[in-house]
Amino acid sequence: MKNVWCTVVCAVSFATASSIALAADVSVDTSTLLGIGQRDVSGAKSETLLPATQFLGLDVDKLADGNLSLHLYGWGRADLADNSYNRENVDGNFTYGYLQYRFKEANANARLGRMFIHEGIVNEQIDGLSARTDLPAGFGISTFAGAVVHGKKLSGETSDGKGDTIAGGRATYRYLGMLELGLSGLFEAKAPSLVSHINSSHRLMGGDLYFSPHKMVTLMGQSSYSPETKSVAEHSYLLSVKPLEGLIVSGEFNEHRSGGYLSAASLFSTMPSYKPNERSRVIGGSSSYQISKSIGVAADYKHYTRTLGNADRFGADARLSFSDNSIRGGFGYHYLRASQGFAITPYISASYHELRGYLLHETKGYFAALDVIAYLFKEKLFNEKSAWEGTISLGYHLTPALALSGDVSYGKNPEFTDETKGLLRLTYNTTFDIKGGK
Amino acid sequence: MNQLKLTVSILATAGLLFFIAACAQMGTLPSLPASHPEALAIGQQVNCAECHEDQQKGTLKPYKAFNHSPVFVKSHRFYAASDDRLCSTCHKSSFCNDCHTNKVQIKPSTKFGNRPDREMQHRGNFMTMHKIEGKLDPASCYRCHGRANNERCIQCHR
Ligand code: HEC
Ligand code: HEC
Ligand code: HEC
Ligand code: HEC
Ligand code: HEC
Repeated sequence: MKNVWCTVVCAVSFATASSIALAADVSVDTSTLLGIGQRDVSGAKSETLLPATQFLGLDVDKLADGNLSLHLYGWGRADLADNSYNRENVDGNFTYGYLQYRFKEANANARLGRMFIHEGIVNEQIDGLSARTDLPAGFGISTFAGAVVHGKKLSGETSDGKGDTIAGGRATYRYLGMLELGLSGLFEAKAPSLVSHINSSHRLMGGDLYFSPHKMVTLMGQSSYSPETKSVAEHSYLLSVKPLEGLIVSGEFNEHRSGGYLSAASLFSTMPSYKPNERSRVIGGSSSYQISKSIGVAADYKHYTRTLGNADRFGADARLSFSDNSIRGGFGYHYLRASQGFAITPYISASYHELRGYLLHETKGYFAALDVIAYLFKEKLFNEKSAWEGTISLGYHLTPALALSGDVSYGKNPEFTDETKGLLRLTYNTTFDIKGGK
Repeated sequence: MNQLKLTVSILATAGLLFFIAACAQMGTLPSLPASHPEALAIGQQVNCAECHEDQQKGTLKPYKAFNHSPVFVKSHRFYAASDDRLCSTCHKSSFCNDCHTNKVQIKPSTKFGNRPDREMQHRGNFMTMHKIEGKLDPASCYRCHGRANNERCIQCHR
């Protein structure tokens, strides 16, 4: 099956990119990546990695009466060397593929196929049907139903721990541009029972809010509850204030209950630190200020509280832009101070400094970029006091839409003594165009 | 049996909604355009106010609220939760899936190694750092690796 999908993606990409793209109202995006890697794992033989990945996106607009459109995206990969990362040699995935009918009024649309849903507290990938519309007097409604897109089976289990069907929706009320209230929910069929993993049926209900009483102040966020585990799942709110042009100051509050939020994903409910009754919090703030057209600065702070301990992270970044945005750069510094409970077993400290800098230059013909990231650990990790990785990328536009680029990166990592990676990238449709942007 | 009942009720609601949607078309409620009428350059932190005056249009939130400042990009999930269809006037779903991929096993920062100016998660040696970050705030990981049961993770997390 995967084999077929990979072959199809590869064949279709090349065929369509070259021919159909010429026709009106069809837009094709393809990206071919050839990775070349050499990794020296301390104490083991070095591995050679040679995966070739093909991404393909296809959008066909103005079908039938002009309001119907088709959107497809997926990838296929063939491993040219044996057993890179112990993965299967050929793999592929159909990310989405749906038909959309767009009504001319009321922001109404209906979609059929595989798609992503983001509506209030709902964030899902389904194979099914969805529809939405505005209603008079500021109301609106949306709904979806279908089959759950399953992941890989958990080890030692016969399923991925998720139910087979899912449905849900959201009802909203908007008042001018200053208030939006939403009620949303989702109901997944009963989760299969597992042998050695923990899971619960994925069922949530909740509300979301957008409130901007004054053009300088906005409060938005959401709260959700899991009726299945009779537990709050999430409270997540963002208050942002824009006192001056170009200046934003925001505060964030996030609270999660593991039993309500994480328990529906076996990957997380089986993690060593998972405790069903745990309440964890992340509170913080961030701010950004565009000083001039060429300089912007940002700062952020977060405080984490879990049963494992607590932590603080703070830092600042600067972004630079010159020559009409064709030269861009940035640098940043962050420090994480974390309790011992967050350290990697059997080490004693999880605190580290992170430094990053990048620079890039783009012209109509070529583009080049340089990126460096470094970590300085407070205490040695895997016998190392620091780690870093640098990437150089060079590319050339063969035509405005077709570009060939290559990256080389070198990393000195605490776990793999060092790692050199190369990547060749051929992309078609690199621009942000009017038809659905990018 | 239960499954069947669920499926039927699901299809019934969806059908009803579709019907409402069809009726609404007869109304005179305005729609956002299918796609943003102006092509924008990539690599910028879009400032909506550069081209749009802050005028109130129906139930549309002020354009300025969507300025792509660093704070917006970091907290875009709050905006996406209620304005997905506005985002989709400029962004194809695949743009979002560059970071919100399901199973692709290529880090977004590697796929876009030529765009260090973008806010991609997991730069650097995340395989090591995730062992700290994952303990710090697993809920933030759940957003992408939770429901989309990542193949990569189960290789080690059994
Ligand atoms: C380079 C200029 C430019 C920028 C930047 C820009 N727009 Fe636009 N936008 C336009 C033009 C031109 C139109 C078509 C005329 C109009 O409706 O104002 C338009 C139309 C729109 C419309 C449709 C309005 C309607 O009722 O038909 C929306 C919605 C919109 N823009 C949102 C945004 C948002 C949100 C941003 C910031 C993320 C943004 N735009 C940034 C130029 C721009
Ligand atoms: C008017 C057009 C427009 C609208 C509307 C719009 N965006 Fe964007 N967005 C852009 C452009 C242009 C970029 C820059 C893309 C690039 O540099 O490749 C961008 C970039 C982004 C990025 C990536 C930033 C980075 O550094 O990697 C995110 C995330 C994003 N948008 C989210 C959203 C969300 C969520 C919405 C809806 C609430 C939205 N956008 C609405 C035009 C728009
Ligand atoms: C540059 C990478 C990037 C791009 C592009 C991007 N996102 Fe995200 N998105 C993230 C990250 C990182 C998070 C987690 C943020 C956090 O924990 O606060 C996230 C979180 C979200 C969430 C919350 C999910 C949940 O389960 O709570 C939604 C919804 C979302 N993004 C929607 C979008 C949409 C819609 C687009 C396209 C318009 C988009 N994103 C594009 C990186 C990205
Ligand atoms: C915006 C979505 C998003 C969020 C939020 C996110 N990830 Fe990821 N993560 C990805 C994508 C996409 C990949 C690359 C695909 C893959 O390897 O499967 C990835 C890859 C990884 C990898 C493999 C890294 C490598 O070197 O190949 C690890 C480990 C990981 N994520 C852990 C985490 C942890 C821990 C968190 C929370 C702190 C997290 N992720 C949050 C999207 C996300
Ligand atoms: C190469 C093996 C490996 C892979 C692949 C891997 N992890 Fe991990 N992960 C670990 C190890 C080892 C730890 C640290 C355990 C410790 O120190 O107690 C860890 C820790 C974590 C933690 C914190 C665990 C806790 O105690 O709560 C999270 C969350 C996590 N990983 C998420 C992910 C996600 C999501 C992915 C897939 C995107 C992933 N991991 C892929 C090996 C891996």
